[in-house]
Amino acid sequence: MSEMKKIKNLKEFSTSADRFEGANLLCPGCAHSIIVREVLNATNDDLILSASTGCLEVCTAVYPYTSWDASWIHIGFENGSTAVAGAESMYKALKTKGRLKQPDRKPKFVSFAGDGASYDIGFQWISGCMERGHTMMHVVLDNEVYANTGGQRSSSTPIGSSATTSPAGRKSYGEKKNKKDMVSIMASHGIPYAAQVSPNKWKDMVKKIQHGLSVEGPSFINAISACTTEWKFDPKDTMAITDLATDSLVFPLYEIIDGHELNITYRPKNIVPVEEYLAAQGRFKHLFKDEYKYLIKEWQERVDAKWAQLQRREEARV
Amino acid sequence: MANKGWDEFEIGAMLRSFEGPIKDIATTHQEDRAYSGNNSFTASVADWRIEKPVFNKDYCIDCQFCWIYCPDISIISRDKKMIGVDMDHCKGCGICVEVCPTNPKSLLMYSEQTDEEQALAAWPAKDTSKADSKGEE
Amino acid sequence: MAFDKMELRDIEVWDGNFAAAQALRQCQIDVVAAYPITPSTPIVEGYAKFLADGYVEGEFVMVESEHAAMSGCIGAAAAGGRVATATSSQGFALMVETLYQASGMRLPIVLNVVNRALAAPLNVNGDHSDMYLGRDSGWIQLDAYNPQEAYDLNFIAFKVAEDHDVRLPCMVHQDGFMTSHTAQGVKTLTDDQGYGFVGEFQPMNDMLDLDHPVTHGVQTEEDWHFEHKARQHRDLMLNVTPKIQAAFDAFEKLSGRKYNMVEKYEMEDADVAVVCMGTSVETAREVALEMRKEGIKAGVVGIRVYRPFPFMEIADALKNVKAIGALDRSSPNGAAGMLFNELAGALFNTDTKALLSGYVYGLGGRDLTKAHLRDLYKELQSNVDAGKVTTQLQQFIGVRGPKLAFL
Repeated sequence: MSEMKKIKNLKEFSTSADRFEGANLLCPGCAHSIIVREVLNATNDDLILSASTGCLEVCTAVYPYTSWDASWIHIGFENGSTAVAGAESMYKALKTKGRLKQPDRKPKFVSFAGDGASYDIGFQWISGCMERGHTMMHVVLDNEVYANTGGQRSSSTPIGSSATTSPAGRKSYGEKKNKKDMVSIMASHGIPYAAQVSPNKWKDMVKKIQHGLSVEGPSFINAISACTTEWKFDPKDTMAITDLATDSLVFPLYEIIDGHELNITYRPKNIVPVEEYLAAQGRFKHLFKDEYKYLIKEWQERVDAKWAQLQRREEARV
Repeated sequence: MANKGWDEFEIGAMLRSFEGPIKDIATTHQEDRAYSGNNSFTASVADWRIEKPVFNKDYCIDCQFCWIYCPDISIISRDKKMIGVDMDHCKGCGICVEVCPTNPKSLLMYSEQTDEEQALAAWPAKDTSKADSKGEE
Repeated sequence: MAFDKMELRDIEVWDGNFAAAQALRQCQIDVVAAYPITPSTPIVEGYAKFLADGYVEGEFVMVESEHAAMSGCIGAAAAGGRVATATSSQGFALMVETLYQASGMRLPIVLNVVNRALAAPLNVNGDHSDMYLGRDSGWIQLDAYNPQEAYDLNFIAFKVAEDHDVRLPCMVHQDGFMTSHTAQGVKTLTDDQGYGFVGEFQPMNDMLDLDHPVTHGVQTEEDWHFEHKARQHRDLMLNVTPKIQAAFDAFEKLSGRKYNMVEKYEMEDADVAVVCMGTSVETAREVALEMRKEGIKAGVVGIRVYRPFPFMEIADALKNVKAIGALDRSSPNGAAGMLFNELAGALFNTDTKALLSGYVYGLGGRDLTKAHLRDLYKELQSNVDAGKVTTQLQQFIGVRGPKLAFL
């Protein structure tokens, strides 16, 4: 394990030299690049990166430009994790055979993918990577929708959200299914590290990224990525919306070590009602009609129940 | 970048981030890197902006909230100091202004055409109706 | 080196799968990412066992699907090293998306394809449906007719694919079961000869060169895509054939075994010729000799290099024949047949007066018997005698029920 970059406070963090570049084509206010920057800046190690097809990929490697200052590969929608696993396997092979060009340097292997590419189409590939024990990190940029293709529901889309394939209408409140619990599924592979992170809590994020990058074996990170375009809020409000997500506990921050040791890593001093989180986004606007207000109540109950469950798991160490 | 013919580029549509080798990239800042013409750093999205952030150094406490939350690597911080905004890469989202904790804010959005000197000269005063500003995290 | 060499006899009795596995061992593959499927599985099992016994150094990654197998191969190849895998049929079909990505990124992966039919209905036996499915994927495709050639062509494949003027992935095809599971005498190379022939892997645009970061797998839209695809096609059309010829020549020098873009048999004075691939070539050769005893000047043209298609070489091989039978071992499903079409294209603007007819045979592992080929040659001869094609242009042979013929 290489020595971890020391980041005591934000001023110290701000001395980082970014390895992700501007004039990419992500929307103004997109949280994807905030997350990518926090992940990459958490380490000074060399990096081998991938992105699965999605907003991040199509906006950062449009010929003849790349926004990546570390080696990066994109293959398809479903297989970014396996691309990095293949590269990591080659690293191991060349290390054994003494053919690495810089044998004294140990790169970290990180794949980025959206929730569609992780929860849905790439699910099997990620599961395979986690199960096989590659020393790599998979980071989900979870904006709870197929944003790159224009806002279709994924299995991460939460109940009541209006997506283009589960639209709210005269007889529908939008998405009917609950969001898939991807962190638990991945932790159940018995991997050394799984965590949920949010870019507004940068210190928590950095700590978790550093933890994930320091273990031998796979780590899984689910990062909430507020989507100005599909969640329908003003680009300037990305961090405000993200604050509401973490402080309402709609998006609780925790980690699971070795598949069972759950630690809650952020306990809001003042828990915000879920209603405030929903009200701030156009995708939930219809829930505030009289006939759907019961759904807001159910939302709160679900969030409360999940929070209680997380606390029980933390205490019970299971 | 000019469009090239089929015989004028690397096979496999491979792109290099830099001209020649780069050592210690993680500790080498942008101004000291030999970017290739294929690095988006050399491109500009300035024409995306409708509004631009104007930075007023007088009120800045170098908390670096704008640096960490800028999606476009457009807040230039060196040696723990906020130096300014990279106007080639800023898309004008306004996040930096929203997260700025000072009173008055050290960054404010103005229309793209606004003269910076004039904006600075007419900077709003401290809003006394608000509670004390947040300090560094 | 931290692995043991293996002492081989000059001639070993190997089936096609084991011959390919031995070639992979001797080429010292760095990463094999693989998924099992009949009938190609023993190739990667063989590599795994060689690794377990210390006869090879590298990483064997047993993934969860063929799509992931090729995805892992792409990541490994882009990282910079020698990469190979094997598959068949449905697994090949599942890989197709990634085949285009591997070739478009110009990654020199070697894929052993043990040819097998495509469902539905499900079938594990050999035909060429999977091979045909790969024909527009931008890979080099070499075809072996027996275990010896499956062994030899793997060395050729690495030599050509990894050449920096080529940098294209390469498939080595062999027929499911008929080649893959049929043990025959295989003349071997020593480990030093085999590895010496392919040489040490020379990385290019490798992700693991940490001082030179590269971006692989970009997006190109209407302003760039055409140029990149054109470049790839151009390199297949112009760079690959000379490199294959050079590899064939070098291999002949090393082993005494000679390979050609198209394999001509009794073609010097042939009136009638069969054009086919895989194990059928060997059957047709036997029958051609028999026909010649009966006064029919029969010949055989086997396709050795399927992609890039040897357009000129095949036109040249067929320039003096009077009737040609194109044998396609894949259901054309609404067209005339791949070989029929390619031959028609290759011959159309030449001075040939040859009569071309097509045959669909052997689907799902149905035997192509010598009797079938005897009838076929006689039919070609009667076409010659009549001065026209006396049958319909496309006929199914070896299928039960009333005769099926079209066009």
